Amino acid sequence: MTTFLHILWFKNLMFWKVPSQRDTGTIIRNVGSFVVFGSFAVGAFYFSHFLTAFLLEEVKIGLFLFHRFIGMLLFVFFVTINLGNMVVSFSTLYRTPEVQFLLTTPVSYLNIFVIKFLDNFFYSSGTLFMVGFSVLLGYGFYFDLPWHFYPVMMFGVLVPFMFLAACIAVIVLLLVMKLAARVNFRILIAAVVVAYIGQVYLYFTVTSPVHLVREVMKYYPNVDLYFGSLDPAGVRYLPNFWVSEIMYFYVAGNTSAVLGYAVMLAASTVGAFLIALSIAAGSYYDTWITSLSIKSLTMKALTLKDRFFSFGRSSSLSAPVEVLLKKELWQFVREPMQWIHFVVMMGLLVIFLSSVSTLNIRLESAYLKAVVYLVIFIFNIFLINSLALRFAFPMISLEGNAYWSLRSSPVPAEQVYRIKFLLVMTILGVLSMVIALLSNVPYLFIHHIVGEKPWLVERVVPSSQVRVLAYCSIIITPIVTMTLVSLNFAFGSIYANYSEKNPIRIASSQGATMTFLLSVVYLVYLLGVYYFAATMLFTAEIRKLPVDWTVLQIVMGAIIVPSVIITGVVHTLGIRSLRRDLT
Amino acid sequence: MIELRNLHKTFGSFVAVDDISLSIPAGEFFGFLGPNGAGKTTTIKMMTGLFTPTSGQILINGYDVVKQPQQAKATFGYIPDHPYLYDKLTGREFIYYMGGLYGMEKNDLRENVERVIDLLELAGWVDKKTEDYSQGMRQRVTFAAAFVHRPKTIIIDEPMVGLDPRSARIVKDSLSQQAKQGCSIFMSTHILEMAEELCDRIGIINKSKIIFLDTKENLHLHKTKYDGNLESVFLELTKEQTE
Repeated sequence: MTTFLHILWFKNLMFWKVPSQRDTGTIIRNVGSFVVFGSFAVGAFYFSHFLTAFLLEEVKIGLFLFHRFIGMLLFVFFVTINLGNMVVSFSTLYRTPEVQFLLTTPVSYLNIFVIKFLDNFFYSSGTLFMVGFSVLLGYGFYFDLPWHFYPVMMFGVLVPFMFLAACIAVIVLLLVMKLAARVNFRILIAAVVVAYIGQVYLYFTVTSPVHLVREVMKYYPNVDLYFGSLDPAGVRYLPNFWVSEIMYFYVAGNTSAVLGYAVMLAASTVGAFLIALSIAAGSYYDTWITSLSIKSLTMKALTLKDRFFSFGRSSSLSAPVEVLLKKELWQFVREPMQWIHFVVMMGLLVIFLSSVSTLNIRLESAYLKAVVYLVIFIFNIFLINSLALRFAFPMISLEGNAYWSLRSSPVPAEQVYRIKFLLVMTILGVLSMVIALLSNVPYLFIHHIVGEKPWLVERVVPSSQVRVLAYCSIIITPIVTMTLVSLNFAFGSIYANYSEKNPIRIASSQGATMTFLLSVVYLVYLLGVYYFAATMLFTAEIRKLPVDWTVLQIVMGAIIVPSVIITGVVHTLGIRSLRRDLT
Repeated sequence: MIELRNLHKTFGSFVAVDDISLSIPAGEFFGFLGPNGAGKTTTIKMMTGLFTPTSGQILINGYDVVKQPQQAKATFGYIPDHPYLYDKLTGREFIYYMGGLYGMEKNDLRENVERVIDLLELAGWVDKKTEDYSQGMRQRVTFAAAFVHRPKTIIIDEPMVGLDPRSARIVKDSLSQQAKQGCSIFMSTHILEMAEELCDRIGIINKSKIIFLDTKENLHLHKTKYDGNLESVFLELTKEQTE
């Protein structure tokens, strides 16, 4: 324990050390980070307050549905933290030089495991705590909840909830690494990917949000009542359900129910942590040894294509462009953390798109239609932003310490910047178009269910107003994608860290967090502006009015002009950063 | 050919390089010596475009490194003190990559890749990923990558870091061969014997200023004053400056 506290103390010292660099650029960046983080906290508070008021007072979905939606969001949040922790834990527990160093000292394997696990958890969760607390404040202020709601929710619910996700992640990782000694690692990774995609699919199939809304709305206006009988049995054992129940019963004033669920959550978290410790005590070192044998994991199928993308093979591209592209390709496919994460994200994307493209939208209110449409739209954009943050932001940093080879070569920094940006932009641009087209399928070919029998489907030609909205979304999606990819890529250049090899740690660094927050500000602006177009077009559809082209032009202009300006500004800053002294 | 004119570099209030002027003609092997923190690496980083000079001018083969960076860089090869490579590429891929960055035509590149692999004796392990290399193997691949485009000038920062005696000999021979072929070489090193063995002219930098700049022959004259060895000359010169 003394050794553990000793290491923790020095880690704490390192964390609070003021950076030695005090040049103007660093000071501006730090002040900028502080302003962005602070503004985002305030923004998250108002957004949460506004959204709660809007859904309960304008859309009138009722307390029960509102908290069930919170539960669904928490499920996504839980899976995200869980997956993120698993991938980052692989790197921190098995790949860091610090672990190698600690293994040469008399520190016990369990202590090393706990130190790195906590390091990992707090490193990747700091911003989420801040955002979570701001959202809780907005929610609590709306319901005028007592002061004790905030510390109880923060430390008794949110932190254990996130810690539980991290514990489960590390348990799965330890088991996978343990099995890797006997089973092919690639098969294990494939099994984990399939299991995660399967559980997300299963959750949304079982909870069926559309069915839930229909059932609850039958009781309108008494939608604040508790409709617990509609909850599928299996869902009741999930931690996201417990948290949403705690929030519901806090608002309803049912203290015993709050306590009951809070105890379940705390007990599960402690239990999961103890299980992780017991597995680690017996096998962390063995799994670390196993990790050495799977160090150079490469897909066998890719070796066949080695010849096609070989550096020795001629191509019609100019020599610098060709070698830069080939280098990017091989760095990506030979780094398991890159392609595994990409495959997982693509799997989740396929599930989302297959659900959205067959969505049955049969709502009477223009507001509700606009809200549903914008939720899908913003989710698409959010997805693109997540891909940009994860894959575009680290691109410059991943040059790593070998960046000297590019900087001392005759290839101009601008060209390197342009090639890398165009590469990531092309891939994410194509993906964004697929997302935009598929998610607008219901608005281009609406499916109506006739009668009570779901297999009797009638294809109805959508109204011209709705089609206009779908086309507008398809037009602005590539522009918004360009802005988001530019923002993430350029800030990845501004906050480049050449000494960090792990792309996931780069994508969750302070600079990445700030970029994410700036992207969210842009997304909120986008949502606010696009709301006018969506409500105008759905109102026009219901009232059979012509499309107001002036409103539409203003909205499109208000999206396109700032997007282009942001793109230009961030690229100028990004290229300038690339010319900095390479220390 | 390398020419440094009144070169100056500051980091905040700290002066890293103070008014350095040097001229190294084609075919000369120049040794750049100095204690830790004297300004050797900063000078080299300015020459290779990794740092921007605060003032002064750097001309490499007639091109200004600041104003004509692409033309200047196309004429030299650089070997840094820490030979970091892209972990996921093999040694051969890295050499191809570097050749591509210098715009080499593919057939010419293929020939030259084989040439440098032979020259640096890399054939046994050049097709393994560089993440599995030792420090010495990385260093030799870096030399090969710097030689592949047949540069007119070679800039080297501490070439012997991590090299075993056999590797050191391979590297020394390859450098001598480059100098004989008319290549100007600028080499920073801590190893005084190596500087004495290979270099035509030696410069010593201390506390960001050049304190000694002369030919190997004249250095021998200095040596007689101090026990007849270069280390004593070096220690005495840098000591005088410190005092």
